[in-house]
Amino acid sequence: MKLELVDVWHVYSPGTEFEVAALRGVSLSVESGEILGVVGGTGSGKSTLAQHMNLLLTPTRGRVLVDGVDAAAMRKRDLRRRVGLVFQFPEQALFAPTVEEDVAFAPRQLGLGEDEIRRRVQNSLEAVGASHLTGRFPHALSGGERRRVAIAGILAMEPEVLVLDEPTAGLDPAAREDLLGLVSRFRDESRSVVLISHDLDEVAEVADRVCVLEKGEVRAVGTPAEVFYENLDVAPATVRVVSELHGVYPDLGRPVRFGETLQALRGLLEA
Amino acid sequence: MGPNGGGKSTLVRLLNGLLKPDSGAVRVLGLDPAEKPFEVRRRLGVLFQDPDNNLVAPFVEDDVAFGLENLGVRREEMRERVKKAIRDVGLEGFERREPHTLSGGEKQRVALAGILAVEPDVLVLDEPTAMLDAEGRREVLDRIRKLRRTKTILHVTHHLEEVLDADRILVLNGGRLVADVSPERLVLDAGLLRENRLALPPVLRISHELGLGFCRTPEDLARAILQKAAKRAELR
Amino acid sequence: MVGAGRTFGRFYPAVSLLHELDPRAKILATAIFILGIFLVGSIPGLLEVAAALAVLVVASRVPPGVFLRTLRPVAIIVILTALFQILFSREGVTLFEWGILQVHEGGLSMGFFLALRILLLVLAAGLLTATTSPVALADGVEDLLSPLKRFRFPAHEVAMMTTIALRFIPTLQEEAQKIMNAQAARGASFAEGGLIRRAQAFRPVLVPLTVGAFRRADELAEAMESRGYRGGEGRTRYRELRFQVRDALALAVAALVIALGALL
Repeated sequence: MKLELVDVWHVYSPGTEFEVAALRGVSLSVESGEILGVVGGTGSGKSTLAQHMNLLLTPTRGRVLVDGVDAAAMRKRDLRRRVGLVFQFPEQALFAPTVEEDVAFAPRQLGLGEDEIRRRVQNSLEAVGASHLTGRFPHALSGGERRRVAIAGILAMEPEVLVLDEPTAGLDPAAREDLLGLVSRFRDESRSVVLISHDLDEVAEVADRVCVLEKGEVRAVGTPAEVFYENLDVAPATVRVVSELHGVYPDLGRPVRFGETLQALRGLLEA
Repeated sequence: MGPNGGGKSTLVRLLNGLLKPDSGAVRVLGLDPAEKPFEVRRRLGVLFQDPDNNLVAPFVEDDVAFGLENLGVRREEMRERVKKAIRDVGLEGFERREPHTLSGGEKQRVALAGILAVEPDVLVLDEPTAMLDAEGRREVLDRIRKLRRTKTILHVTHHLEEVLDADRILVLNGGRLVADVSPERLVLDAGLLRENRLALPPVLRISHELGLGFCRTPEDLARAILQKAAKRAELR
Repeated sequence: MVGAGRTFGRFYPAVSLLHELDPRAKILATAIFILGIFLVGSIPGLLEVAAALAVLVVASRVPPGVFLRTLRPVAIIVILTALFQILFSREGVTLFEWGILQVHEGGLSMGFFLALRILLLVLAAGLLTATTSPVALADGVEDLLSPLKRFRFPAHEVAMMTTIALRFIPTLQEEAQKIMNAQAARGASFAEGGLIRRAQAFRPVLVPLTVGAFRRADELAEAMESRGYRGGEGRTRYRELRFQVRDALALAVAALVIALGALL
């Protein structure tokens, strides 16, 4: 499915002394089957944006469209099933005595049959590499395992868009790498992924397109090469190294991912 | 440094007497924390990971004063030291703010001020940036960097780039001390990194892969690449 | 979330005489008001107290809207109490009759009297919490209770507990909101079905909230110990309490207002 935000504004506590405009006219689309990275610093509006994608927050102005249809007119339940939102530190919301029951929560809310629920729990635990944890007590797991189980809890709705808000925050480097490896596998022909992160290196590694958010506005959007090479202040380390060399070696191209950057630099040294 | 469950947090808690060793001895400035926890705690301050759980009082200045109140410091002196500590972490004007209105980075700086106000000789930081965003991390690390050479600092972290200018890096794994090396040695020791699940930041990873030694910033790395390319051209 | 609204009994920082009074004086004056309101037996008496509190609201420089919001949670109790009296009391002249519905003069005035009494009680308490910071409040309570230490009453611990509770209420509120959002994203609905279904819907919120609160308690205890906390003994206080002439005057005024109300 295609998810679009059209001129979305969001103002917190309007008309009070705490009034803040977190989003100021954001227009953005998530195409079917892509991984869209959203980067931005504190106060850029990243998390507010995430919550608009399944209308947990409603825009003060502007619209959210699902395949061209106004999401506000859809049933909330349908919308939240089709757009799965994984919040920052999602493991804080684990509540059931076993991993299996926790992951079954969302499909059960959907009113599915027991067989279907079981199938979905299995599939989504498999997708996050946590099949072996089925009967375990969630709070006895490691940080990385808890995080993956919490994501499985959203995957079990079989969403068409998966929104991940800072999925690697607070994880140790090994768990982070494991999780990042999974992100690109969440995407298939029918499912897109929105990866919201302040970690540029991480986004550079997996995104098909990147959106830079700044003070509630879209500053740039496009392929990682376009966006990062034209906005070096928000570029990952790989891009910054290569752009330093462009003056002397203009033919280096515009590699973004770690592997391709390394290859380009190797080529340069071995030429 | 070291993987989760390696013993980093346990070590921190042994240092200030929150835990007692089953065997062996701990000495902090010659004192046994298990026997004289309060003596040790006024000389060794600990900043923990979760910014919210470091703060006790409903206002910034009251929280900074908490450790001084515990020590029974006189009020006039307390005012001076609270004021100075708040200035040292760059939070003037935040005195009357409530913690829940602060960002994660600001909360950690308040907690740091509370520890600095007590004027400890040793500062222990237990993953102080793990729960912060990039900006919060930068704020807190800046403050920590300013304290360099003024105190002994023990900084527990998963991010190698945070401790690249440390004098020594200790690696704990499976409850054992497996390495005590300089950062330069550590980043070049692929085996040590792999065995302890330590990740190099991208710039160091590239320079490592290209055999360019210890480059910390993209600019350093670009320079090293240019030098090496020039050398190769000369040879030819 | 950003700019979450202020909730019941929250401190509202402003510059006013009321804010500057010694917290002990304010706690005692509030006690006088609260006990005194029960002594006032007539509507004119309560109106006099109401007028005095209205003056204090203005003097506090806290926007009246803040107090109106503190009254909201008790509105239902107030309305129910009033309705109960108005509809079921059979005293005095009948003012209105429609089928079995009868409104008597006695019921009407009793309903008004009780409703006003509840509103004034809440307002008096609201004035205290709006003009006194949580720290000052805790210090004041500790000090007033300290004579009880002789009877092993843990005055310091009670004050410390109050401070921590006040410190963490907003944190836990935020956390509850986050967990509710996360469960809503998994299809939980908190506004559908009967009372029992709704109560069940809160299990996925309450369990993680409780687990989280215990974790916080643990970590906070470690942080406090690490910062040298060892109970109230030998501890000094950052904030100074000074009982001045104006504080004594405030108490006298409170007593006068109540005495006058009781006479009316």
